[in-house]
Amino acid sequence: MLETTSIPVSQIKRGSRPDGEGSVQVQLDPSVKIGNAKVFAIYGKGGIGKSTTSSNLSVAFSKLGKRVLQIGCDPKHDSTFTLTKRLVPTVIDALEQVDFHSEELRLEDFVFPGYNGVMCVEAGGPPAGTGCGGYVVGQTVKLLKEHHLLEDTDVVIFDVLGDVVCGGFAAPLQHADRALIVTANDFDSIFAMNRIIQAIGAKSKNYNVRLGGVIANRSETTDQIDKFNHAVGLKTMAHFPPLDEIRKSRLTKSTLFELEATGSVKAVQDEYMRLASQLWLGSDPLPAVPMKDRDIFDLLGFD
Amino acid sequence: MQDVHYVLHAPQGDTYADLLFTMIERLPRRPPVTYTTFQARDLGSDTAQLFIDALNDANERFKPNALLVGASCTAELIQDDPGGLALGLNLKTPVIPLELPAYQRKENWGCAETLYHLVRQIIQRAEQKKEDPLPPVNLSTSSTASTSSRPSCNILGPTALGFRHRDDVKEIKQLLNDLGIEVNVVAPMNATVKDIERLPLASFNVVLYPETARTAALWMEKHLHQPFTKTIPIGYKNTMDFIDEVLELAKLPKNEALIQQLTQSSRASWYAASVDSTYLTNKRVFIFGDASHAIAAARVASEEMGFLVVGLGTYSREFAREIREAAKLYNVTPLITDDYLEVEDQIQELHPELILGTQMERHIAKRHGIPCTVISAPMHVQDFPARYAPQMGFEGSNVLFDTWVHPLMMGLEEHLLGMFRNDFEFNDASPSHLGGSAQPKHENASALEQDQHTLDNQGSSPETQAPSHASISEDNTGEDKVKEMIQIWTLEAEKELKKIPFFVRGKAKRNTERFAKETGIQNITIETLYEAKAHFSR
Repeated sequence: MLETTSIPVSQIKRGSRPDGEGSVQVQLDPSVKIGNAKVFAIYGKGGIGKSTTSSNLSVAFSKLGKRVLQIGCDPKHDSTFTLTKRLVPTVIDALEQVDFHSEELRLEDFVFPGYNGVMCVEAGGPPAGTGCGGYVVGQTVKLLKEHHLLEDTDVVIFDVLGDVVCGGFAAPLQHADRALIVTANDFDSIFAMNRIIQAIGAKSKNYNVRLGGVIANRSETTDQIDKFNHAVGLKTMAHFPPLDEIRKSRLTKSTLFELEATGSVKAVQDEYMRLASQLWLGSDPLPAVPMKDRDIFDLLGFD
Repeated sequence: MQDVHYVLHAPQGDTYADLLFTMIERLPRRPPVTYTTFQARDLGSDTAQLFIDALNDANERFKPNALLVGASCTAELIQDDPGGLALGLNLKTPVIPLELPAYQRKENWGCAETLYHLVRQIIQRAEQKKEDPLPPVNLSTSSTASTSSRPSCNILGPTALGFRHRDDVKEIKQLLNDLGIEVNVVAPMNATVKDIERLPLASFNVVLYPETARTAALWMEKHLHQPFTKTIPIGYKNTMDFIDEVLELAKLPKNEALIQQLTQSSRASWYAASVDSTYLTNKRVFIFGDASHAIAAARVASEEMGFLVVGLGTYSREFAREIREAAKLYNVTPLITDDYLEVEDQIQELHPELILGTQMERHIAKRHGIPCTVISAPMHVQDFPARYAPQMGFEGSNVLFDTWVHPLMMGLEEHLLGMFRNDFEFNDASPSHLGGSAQPKHENASALEQDQHTLDNQGSSPETQAPSHASISEDNTGEDKVKEMIQIWTLEAEKELKKIPFFVRGKAKRNTERFAKETGIQNITIETLYEAKAHFSR
């Protein structure tokens, strides 16, 4: 079911490709559009807290009265864990159940209501080292559309897998309006962020996706992030401290909004609400220019 | 629907679809569809403009209250995006674009999608109008329906070309009325755009045909908080369950005396009390159709007629899970396919004595000389009878009884015809009402068919002494290894087999072959036949 793209010979010679550097990626079926919902894709280095951030952000949107759909795109399929309180079956699991006759599926086979009415989907993924994550994301969006869920949704949040930079990584970018990057105030996650900016820049040539901003997570200070933002032209949209409650909330299978709103927790809840309202109102796209890998070392490295 | 017009981007030949409505259902008018009918030479020029012109013309000429736009399977390929073009024209008439991938999905799905989009867009549009402060008139119109104290419901699903939808609607409307429930709107059959706008006034929906109405009903349940019925009132028991379900949704008490009175019109007890009521018991029946009709038919066959359901299947993948659940009840393997050859193979394997299916299974049944009744779309002109013949409600269960039992009883007399086959009066006649004159042409002709075949050629058999046919019998007892063994019927044994009336011949043959296999006999003689008979009658 892979779709190919044809590239004029002249372009191959020059090495300029529709998806930027690297291999040609899975192209979307142009008829599969998400519709009227605002679509955000959450990116970041593996283990940086994308799922936690996505889930809490989803709840914040739902507290604003929006109809929210969170799509986990990680083969680990635990993105919506704190919302549904369990590991729900993935879209691939559901498709396997019906021998890939997708017309047999019903919405309740792969969409699960979570905390405060957030609709949760886990796209799942192909077995490690094989298949195509982009295909899985494409199938998920197609199914959601076929079942008319997207017509009744205000906000879609893609929680993207962390480390793998491939078609699966890029697929949500083709649907998203804004890509948000979660990072910590350290070299490795900022280095990963730079690469994500490169990918988004390449995708934005053919798709609507633009950079929304940076979410500083699990960091007391943001000096390194600020330095990088300044250099490439990015903005920090929200800042979450390394609060033990955030870590614990995940262990107790709950979002931050289910914890008692004491001092520091209340502050983080308010920050999520502020972020959600800001995202809902919309932000100007950031025309960030990624740095050369070597330059980041010069900017941030080894100090 | 009445005041809706469909502008279909389609090549010249696709206009044949009109004929389905006028020739098969014999409707008094052509369906409200305008085809762009582009030809080969148009493909070189601007087909999009052709579509826009057709749309404008249709809008002016027919003045519909809503326009549907879409592309037929051929026109999908030229990718003119009729929806986008139509919305770009900013017509005053509401435009509902349809994207129905005709290559991938079936008619019922397309119908369900169309109804969903119609209902959703017309209702949302009406809601937006209401939000405007201007017209307070809406309030008064909405109160007219609710002035009567009777609870009200909509009937969803009936369409043109539906299997007995015309009569089902009449029957169920009457039933609901007798129960004290008002019918607010019937949609989409004969409904207007105004009717669709009035759908929210009912307190619940009666979904008669989930294949066409489930998608819309789900949306209405979510957005208008209207629950919908799940029972399909086909057959006596299903009708009784349906009554319970609607009474609960209508919040009405169950009036036993009233229900008693309603059941008077059912003749089920007349048959059940008849002396010969058991002579059709355990007839092997194979059922295939759209999921709702097939599942209901299986229940009627098994619980009301006392038949044995040996096969159950559907072509509607969207409802495969319901068929799988139902198949468990009868301990059969569900068949979910749109390949009629696969259906035919399973029919051959199962040796049913009655087939309840679609027009397609009727063809198969005819080829194999098996009694058959059509219970579901797709169907033929003869399935639009002039008389009142619903499938639903109590009168519907009477109709089921007649239409299922008659071909079976006629079938029972078939052996009499066979007995006199060699009489001179019958020489050149084709006596079978099951189309027995047609010789089986299918390559994988079953053993049973071959019986028929050799029977037809009797008297002029060229190979006299040679064993006349061999059959490979498979071990169905569920052993790990499927043993294959060539069994040979001697000519005498086969002749003897012919003497057995056809309706038990298949069983006699299977039993004999099983007996032969178990005792390790390869050549089946007359003795084997009788030994097997003795063995199994012990």
